[in-house]
Amino acid sequence: MQAIYRVAVATFHEAWRRRFLNAILVFAVLIIGSSWTLTYLQPGAELKLLIDIGLGSIRFFGMLIAVFLGVRLISDEIEKRTIHTILTKPVTRAQFLLGKFFGSLATVLSNIALMGIAFYVVFAYKGSKFMAQGSSEASASGTPGISTDFIYANIAKAIGLSFVEMTVLTAVSVMASTLFSWIIAAIFSFFVYFVGQAADFFKSLANPARGTGFGGQLVFNFIYGIIPHFEVFDMREAIIKGTYVGWDTLGMHVGLGLVYATLIMLVAFLAFMNREV
Amino acid sequence: MDLSIEVEEGTIFGLVGPNGSGKTTTLKLLLGLIYPTAGTGTVFDLPLGSPEYKRRIGFLPEGPYFYDHLNAVELLAFYGGLFGMSGAALHERIEQLLHMVGMWDRREIRVRNYSRGMLQRIGLAQALINDPDLIFLDEPTAGLDPPAQMEMRRLMVDLRNQGKTVFLCSHLLKDMEPICDSVAILARGVVRRQGSIRELLGGESGRFRLRVAGGNGLSLESLRDRSLDLKIEGEEITMLFANQQQALAAAQEIANNGGTILELGAQTRSLEDVFIEAVAAGGEE
Amino acid sequence: MKKQRGLQVIGWLVVVMLVVGLQPLSNAVNYRRLVLGMKSPTPLTKMVDFDPTAVTGVIMGAALGGFQGVAASMLWMKMEELWDSGKGTWLECLNVMRTVTLLDPHWLEPWRITGWHLAYNLYVETKDPKLQAIYLAKGLDALKEGISWNPNTHELYLELAWTYFDRVRDYENATKWFRATLQFPHPEFVERMIAHAYERLPDLDRALDWYDYCLKRNPEDGTAKGATTTIRLRYLPAWRLMQAGKYDEAIRAIDRYLEVEPNGTIALHVKAHIYEQAGREREALDVWRLAARLSALDHQARRKANELAAKLGVTLLPSEQAPSYFLEQMEQPRRLEVPRRRER
Repeated sequence: MQAIYRVAVATFHEAWRRRFLNAILVFAVLIIGSSWTLTYLQPGAELKLLIDIGLGSIRFFGMLIAVFLGVRLISDEIEKRTIHTILTKPVTRAQFLLGKFFGSLATVLSNIALMGIAFYVVFAYKGSKFMAQGSSEASASGTPGISTDFIYANIAKAIGLSFVEMTVLTAVSVMASTLFSWIIAAIFSFFVYFVGQAADFFKSLANPARGTGFGGQLVFNFIYGIIPHFEVFDMREAIIKGTYVGWDTLGMHVGLGLVYATLIMLVAFLAFMNREV
Repeated sequence: MDLSIEVEEGTIFGLVGPNGSGKTTTLKLLLGLIYPTAGTGTVFDLPLGSPEYKRRIGFLPEGPYFYDHLNAVELLAFYGGLFGMSGAALHERIEQLLHMVGMWDRREIRVRNYSRGMLQRIGLAQALINDPDLIFLDEPTAGLDPPAQMEMRRLMVDLRNQGKTVFLCSHLLKDMEPICDSVAILARGVVRRQGSIRELLGGESGRFRLRVAGGNGLSLESLRDRSLDLKIEGEEITMLFANQQQALAAAQEIANNGGTILELGAQTRSLEDVFIEAVAAGGEE
Repeated sequence: MKKQRGLQVIGWLVVVMLVVGLQPLSNAVNYRRLVLGMKSPTPLTKMVDFDPTAVTGVIMGAALGGFQGVAASMLWMKMEELWDSGKGTWLECLNVMRTVTLLDPHWLEPWRITGWHLAYNLYVETKDPKLQAIYLAKGLDALKEGISWNPNTHELYLELAWTYFDRVRDYENATKWFRATLQFPHPEFVERMIAHAYERLPDLDRALDWYDYCLKRNPEDGTAKGATTTIRLRYLPAWRLMQAGKYDEAIRAIDRYLEVEPNGTIALHVKAHIYEQAGREREALDVWRLAARLSALDHQARRKANELAAKLGVTLLPSEQAPSYFLEQMEQPRRLEVPRRRER
C-alpha cells in the first residue's frame, strides 16, 4: 500500500508540473467564464446555454486531460527507463500500475473540481438572473426555457458523474498506455470515448428492423457489449427536464462506472504483467 | 542458454561480454525485470523478483533517468519511501548517502540540470538507499571523465570493503581489471571463461618482453632468430623472448651497440587478451 | 513461469466474467434512465428512414459532447445570415434548420422557426396545392417533434396551436393544443385564443365560457368584453334557437345579421352549423361553399364543403376542391412513426 501511495503521489506531482495540462485547465476555465457573456446566443434559452457550455467544457477538457495524462503514464516510464529504478525496488508491477493510475486519477479529478467550481460560480451569478426572470408568466423570451426544479442539486450530481466518467476514461488511457505507444494509445482512447458516447446509436444500428444483415448485427452488438457506455454519465436531460435524480439512481451510475474501471484496469494489468521493460 | 555463475559474497564480480552477448538480459533476469521463459532462479534463497529479494538489492542502471522535476533529496526520499522508510531515519540516510557520493552541496539542484557525472552519483545513492547486500551496477563508469571514473572505482572498492557484494556489468575492461575480484566472460549467451582475475590472467607466462630504441650495427636477422616475436614501430623494436636469460643477453648486446632499453620485464596477459581469446574461441564453436 | 501463466488465465477468465456480468447492471442503469427520462434518445431513433443528416447530427453531438448548444447557435447565426442576404433558398435554409434541431433539440427557437418556415414561407413559395399540403403537414410535424423533445414548456404547444388556428384553420385541433399550453406558465392571451377558436368552430357556449373566465381573471379585458358582447348580440339568439330545435327561426335570426354583414365569416359558420344540426346538409353545403368563395383563407369552410359534397355526391367546381391528399393530411393527424425499441 505504501508503494502504491508513493508512486501515486510522485505521479500526481509530476502531472501538475506539466505545462501542457495546466494550459488545458486554464483554457477550460476561460471558456467556462466566457459563457458569462455568451448567453445572447440563445435568447430564451440562456440557462440551457450556460449549462451546455459549463458541463460540456468540464467533460470535453476533462477528457483531454484524462487521455493525454494517461497515455504517457506507462509508455513514458518504459521509454525513459525510469521504470527500472522503481521495479527493482520492492514494488510489484500491480502496485506500480495502480499507483500510476491513482496518481493520474487524482490529477484529473482535481482539475475537474477546479472547473466545476468555476462553472458553479458562473451559474450561481448569471443563472440566477435568468431564473428570476422566468418565474413570471411573461412573454415567450421571458422564460428560461428549461425547468429549474432541483437545478443546483442536479448540476452538482452531473459534475459528480463527470468524475466517474473520467475515472473510466483514465482507466482506458492507462490500459492503452500499457499496450501501445502514446500516439496510438491516444487515438485508441479517443476512439473508445466517442464510440462509447454513441453506444445507443450502435445498439439501434444492430436492430434488424433497420435492415442490418446478420453480420452487421453481430458486429454492432459486439461493439455495444464491449465498449464502456460513456453516454450513461450524461445528466443533461435530467437537468433540462428538472427530474429528481435520487441517490439510489446516482449510486447505480457510480457502481457501473466503478465496475467499468475495475475491468479495464484488470485488462491493463494482464497486459502489463508480461511486458518487457 | 546455460548460464552458471559463481559469485563470492563480499567481492566485486564483473560480467563482461560484447554487445549482444546476453549481459543485459542476464542482468534484467537477476533484477526481476523480465521473466525466464523456463526454469526458476534464486538469490539468497529467495525467488528472483520477489519483494523480499528486492529489499536486499540495489541497482544503478546504465545512463540512468530519474524524475527530473525532483532534486536529490526529494528523489532519494521517494525511493526511500518505496522501502517504507520515513521520518528522521530516512533523512539521516539521505544525508549520509549524499555525503558519500559527494552531492551534498548540490542537493537543491533539480535532476533535469544534472551533468552525466552527477546522474551517476545520485544513481549510486538511490541504489544504496536501502543498504543492500548485493548491488548491481550497469556500465557505472561509461561516459565519465577520468577523475569521475576513479571516484566511482573508489566507491565500489569501499562498498566491497564494507562487506557488500558488487555485481558489475561492463565492456570497459581496463576499468574492470583493477577492481574486480572475479570475472565471467559472456559470449552468445554462454559463459566462456570464469574465475578470479589471478586465475584468468595466468600469472607469469614465463616470457620476457624487451623494447628498445636506436642501436647501430644490430643484426635484425640474429635478433629475429633468437626471439619468439619481433615488431618494429618506427624507431622502436619490441621483442618477445622465451626466458629471462635470452632477453638479458639481447638487452646487453643492444646496449653495447648504443641502443636504449625502454622496457624489460615479464610478460603478463591483460584481461583484454583473455577476453578476445574467449570470444574468438566461442566463435569457432 | 507456470505461476505467471496460471495467473494470466485466471485473470482473463475474470475479465470475461466481468464483461458478461456487467450487462445486467448496464441494462438496469439504462432502464432507470429511460424511466426517469434521463435518456436523450438519439434523433436517429425518431426517424423512420435512415437520414444522413441525422447520422451526422448524432456523431457531431457525440463528438462535441455538450458543445452542441454552441455549435447549434453558430450554425443558426450562419443560417440567419444566409436568409437576410437573400442568397440562400428556402430549402437550403430548411436543411440547416434541421441540422440545428438535431444538434440541440432542447433549444426551442429553431423548432418554432422551422415550423413557421414550412407552414408559412415554403407554403407560399409554391403554387402547387399538393406541395402546399405537404409543407403544411411537415410544418405541423416539425412542431410536434419539437414538443416531443420539450414537453415541459409551453412555447411549442402555443406555436402549434397558433399554426392550426391561423394557417390550417383547424379550430378543433387549435383548441386542443391551446388547452395543452395551459399546463405550463403561459402568456395571458392563450385563454382568449381558446375562446376565439371555439367561436369559429363554432361552439358558442364554450366560447362564452372562456370569455367569461377571461373577464373574471381581468374585468378590464377589453377583447373579452367586446367579444362577449359581439357574440351575444350577433350570434347567440340564433344559437339558442338552434339549441331549442327551432331551426327556421334560428336561420332567420342569423340571416338578419348577415344582411348587415354578408361576409361575416363566423356568422356563415354559425348558419352552416345550424343547417347541419337541422339535418339539412344540402343547404349547409351551400353555405360552406359560399364562405369558401368569400374568403380564400377560410380553409375550414373549404374542408367542410368538400366533406359534405363527398357525402352527398355533389361535384364541386375545380376551384372549390381541396385536393383529397390535402383532406387526408389535414383530417387525420399525421402520426410520427417511431420504431418500437425493445426495452424492458
